Amino acid sequence: MEITLGIAKKLIHAGIKEALLKGNPCTIAVVDGDGWLVAAERMDGALIPTFDIARDKAWTALAFKMPSSDIYKFGDSTMPGFGFNTTGWNDRITPLAGGLPIKDGNEVIGAVGVSGNIPKQDIAVCKTAVDAIL
Amino acid sequence: MKKVKKVNKELLSRETVFEEDGCIKKITLGMAEKMIDAALRWARNGGFECSVAVLDASGTVIAVHRDNLMPETLEIAIDKAYTAAAMTAPTRMMAIMTSPMTAMGVGPDGHGTSLGFRHKLRWCTVNGGIPIRQAGTSMGMKVIGAIGTSGCPSGTDDNLCSQAGATSLYE
Repeated sequence: MEITLGIAKKLIHAGIKEALLKGNPCTIAVVDGDGWLVAAERMDGALIPTFDIARDKAWTALAFKMPSSDIYKFGDSTMPGFGFNTTGWNDRITPLAGGLPIKDGNEVIGAVGVSGNIPKQDIAVCKTAVDAIL
Repeated sequence: MKKVKKVNKELLSRETVFEEDGCIKKITLGMAEKMIDAALRWARNGGFECSVAVLDASGTVIAVHRDNLMPETLEIAIDKAYTAAAMTAPTRMMAIMTSPMTAMGVGPDGHGTSLGFRHKLRWCTVNGGIPIRQAGTSMGMKVIGAIGTSGCPSGTDDNLCSQAGATSLYE
């Protein structure tokens, strides 16, 4: 499976429905398997910076093939990856919660990023969106 | 159950919201989706694929869709719409003003060419971005957003695609 515009729209609409039910306006961004943005939508009332944050979360989830909040562990001094966060190799990487990779079996085919509210609610919207297409 | 029904209705609402004086106050997500779908439909009918972005008055993306395999067209579509929203003028006008080949570009004091904008990272003075005004197209009306297209075979096609999207607001 590949993330096309049709699939991205389906995913975003599922997320929007969930966000509307909870009353949390947010931005939902979808990237394809190479990390390129396919579609993004900012709901009425979502704040201005949420667009850039959402796409950064999606990119981070895709690049590391893990939820964007999981990369915090590379900054832990007891972990082998310590110091990783000081390299400054990229300005898109973010450890904020709300980015999830989309997995088809074991293969990561894309990622979705949500920004707009507290981490718990962002993740809930993410999960609803991913579940809608798998 | 009642709540769910209401939400579904809101989600699918693509009606353009007109104020009492006939002006459009702001672009909602539903309106942005309607514009993008109309623009992409226009492009598909012409046999090509492109990216379309709709921005609000603050120059922030409301919705952006990429319908092709060229990733950078999405960024260019956003930048074109940003330029149109920021200058409250079509990027076509900026293309003419900054071109050294036109009368505006080689005016008495080189006014146009001095607007080179090469230092502006997000500036894109290429055909394809159109501002959206409260009502009509007069220069006096406040800009409420912009639409930008990138990926069509020519700049004229980009402009027409954006226009198809902007026109759909009044359908």
